[in-house]
Amino acid sequence: MKGSHVAITGVEKYFGDFHALKSVSVDIKKGEFYSLLGPSGCGKTTLLRIIAGFEDPSSGAVLLDGQNVVPVPANKRPVNTVFQSYALFPHLTVFENVAFPLRLRKMENAAVKTKVQEFLELVKLPKEGKKLPAQLSGGQRQRVAIARALINEPSVLLLDEPLSALDAKLRQHMLIELDAIHDKIGITFIYVTHDQQEALSVSDRVAVMNEGEVVQVGTPFEIYESPSDPFVAHFIGETNYIGGTVTEVIGDKHAKVDFPDIGSLFVYQDKPLAVGDKVKVTIRPEKIRISSDKPSALGDQMNLLEGGVDELIYSGFQSKFFVRVSERATFRVFRQHVKFFMDEKAINWKDRVFIWWNDNDGYVVEVEKP
Amino acid sequence: MKKNYGPVYVAPLTGWLVVFFAIPISIIVYYSFLKKGFNGGVMHEFSLDAFRALYNPTIFKIAFNTFWIACASTAVMVALAIPASYFMARSRHKNLYMLLVIVPFWTNFLIRVYAWMAILGNNGILNSTLISMGLMHEHIQFLYNTNAVILVTVYTYLPFAILPLYSTIEKFDFSLVEAARDLGATKFTATVRVLLPNIRGGITTAVLFTFIPAFGNYAVPQIIGGSDSYMLGNVIARELTVTRNWPLASSISMALTALTTLGVLLFMRLNRSSMESARESATSAPVKTPQSGTGATA
Repeated sequence: MKGSHVAITGVEKYFGDFHALKSVSVDIKKGEFYSLLGPSGCGKTTLLRIIAGFEDPSSGAVLLDGQNVVPVPANKRPVNTVFQSYALFPHLTVFENVAFPLRLRKMENAAVKTKVQEFLELVKLPKEGKKLPAQLSGGQRQRVAIARALINEPSVLLLDEPLSALDAKLRQHMLIELDAIHDKIGITFIYVTHDQQEALSVSDRVAVMNEGEVVQVGTPFEIYESPSDPFVAHFIGETNYIGGTVTEVIGDKHAKVDFPDIGSLFVYQDKPLAVGDKVKVTIRPEKIRISSDKPSALGDQMNLLEGGVDELIYSGFQSKFFVRVSERATFRVFRQHVKFFMDEKAINWKDRVFIWWNDNDGYVVEVEKP
Repeated sequence: MKKNYGPVYVAPLTGWLVVFFAIPISIIVYYSFLKKGFNGGVMHEFSLDAFRALYNPTIFKIAFNTFWIACASTAVMVALAIPASYFMARSRHKNLYMLLVIVPFWTNFLIRVYAWMAILGNNGILNSTLISMGLMHEHIQFLYNTNAVILVTVYTYLPFAILPLYSTIEKFDFSLVEAARDLGATKFTATVRVLLPNIRGGITTAVLFTFIPAFGNYAVPQIIGGSDSYMLGNVIARELTVTRNWPLASSISMALTALTTLGVLLFMRLNRSSMESARESATSAPVKTPQSGTGATA
C-alpha cells in the first residue's frame, strides 16, 4: 500500500464562538476509501481543510504515518485535494493544469509530458490537453481536477464533495470511476459528502458526522443496518423510527416491545435489554412486506399489522406506501417491482393492507434504563 | 416588425461626443497645420512649421520626462493598488474601505494638490514636524521636483487603479490560490502564477486608467513640479497662453494624443500575446489557440 495511515486525535476547531469540531478523533487505515458523511454545517469540510492544511485546528493533532503534520504548511504535506468547485486554473490549458505541480518542482520538460499524459489517460482524457477548462464539460473538469491532484503522487487524496456539481447519471458513473482509480492507485482516499448514497456505495468505512462530532464509524453495511444513534438512523436512508417499552426478553437475540398506538412487536436484541427499558427502534421500509391479502403461515415471531394506504408514490422500480396502522402511527413500506406490475395484485390508495416483517428487522438504536 | 430604437438610444451620446470631442479635436488638427498669427491666434494658411518645431531637443527631453513620470507613477500606483485591493476584497468591511477610497473625490482636485504644498512645503507640516522632533536642523526641499510630481500624481490617480483591481479581485475565486498551495506552491508562487494571471484584466484596466491621465498631466507639475519635471501638458499650456503659438500647441497636443494611443495599443498587444504564450507556456508542440467556442464533449 502506498497510502498513509491518517490519525486525527482530539481535534477541536472554533471559528470565533462557533464550535465547529468537538474533539474529533478518527483513525483511517492505509489505502482506505474513507468517507466523512454528514449534513451541511456538520464540520466535515472543516476537518478536510484541517487535514489539507488550509485551517489549523484549535487543538489536537493530525498524524500522517504517526507524524504530526499540524505545523507543516499545506504545500509541504503529501496530501492533495480535489475541490468541490474543481478550482482548475482558468488561464492554463488542461495540460498545464495537470502539469502545474511538476512545473513547481522544475521537472524536466520531457518527463513532464510523459507524466501528464499518463495521468490524463488515467482519467480518460488523453486528447483534451490543449483545451482550456472552460471548454470542458462538468464531468471532464472533474477528471482534470482528479488528475491534477494525483500527479504529485500524494499518499492521501482528499475529495471535497467532488460530484455535487454533476447530474445524477454522471455522478453514478464518476463514482464507479473514482472507485476504479482508488483500486489502481492504492492510496488513502478521504471523501467528504452529504450524499449518503455516494458514501455507502464506494467507501470502505464511513464516519457519520453531526454538529461537529463523529457520531458513528463503520462499514456502509454497519452504518445502514445497525445505526448506533438516532441521527444516523434518520440520516442514512429512510426508516420507520418508533419508541416503546420492553415487555419480554426472549432468549439472548430477541425481545418483545410494546409500542403505544401500534401494539406489541418483536425486535432484534444486540444490546442487553431488560423488561421495562424504554427503547427506540428502527425498521427499514424495504424490509417490510405488503399485501392486500392476509399472509398465511407466518413464523412465530413475525410482526404483522393491518392498516390503510394513506399515500402511495410510484417511482418505476419501486412503490412507496405510507400505511396508517392507527390514528397516530404510519409505516413507510417500499415494494420493489420485481415483476411486471400487471402480474402483481395492485394496491391502490385507501386500500386495506397487511404489512409484516421479520423479528430480526427491528433494530434497537437507543436504550433508556428506567 | 419590431422597430429599431438603437439610433435613438445612442443619439445623445453621439451628439455629446461630436460637440465636445470630434469637433474640438478637428479644430486642433486643423490649427496644427496653420501658420502662427502675429498677435497670437492663427493665420488660415497651410504650413508645417508647427510640426517642424516639434523636432527639437527640448521637446524631446520634455516628452521623455513626461513618459518617464507617467510610467513611474503608473508602476507605483499599480504596485500599491494590487495589495490594497486584495486586502479590501478579502475584508469584511469592503464597503467602508470603498467609501474611504472615494471620499477624496468629494474635495476639489486643485485643493487636494494645494494641500500637498501645505504638507511638503519648506515651512510645511512635514518639515516643521521633523525639525521640532530634532531629527534635522534645516528643512528639506521636498517640493518642485520629479519625485514630488510622482508622489502627488500617485495620490491623485490611485483610486483609478484601485477601483478596477478591486472589482476584479473581488470576483476572483480564492480557492484557486488554495489549490495552488495544495499542489505545492508557496504563498508567493501561488500569487504570481495563479492570482496575477487571473486578475490580468483588472491590471490592464488599472494601467490604462492611470497611465493616460498621468501622461496628460498638467496641474500637478504646474503646482508641485520644478524645471526638471516639466511635462508636455505644461508646454501646451505655455504655447497656448504665454508664447501664444497656437499651431505649436496644437501639434504638441496631437503628438501627445498619438503617443498615448500608440502606447495603449502597444500595451494591449503585448498583453494579449503574453497571455497566449503563458497559457501555452510549455506545451512545446505548436498549438492552435482555442477559440471562444466551447467544444464540450461528454
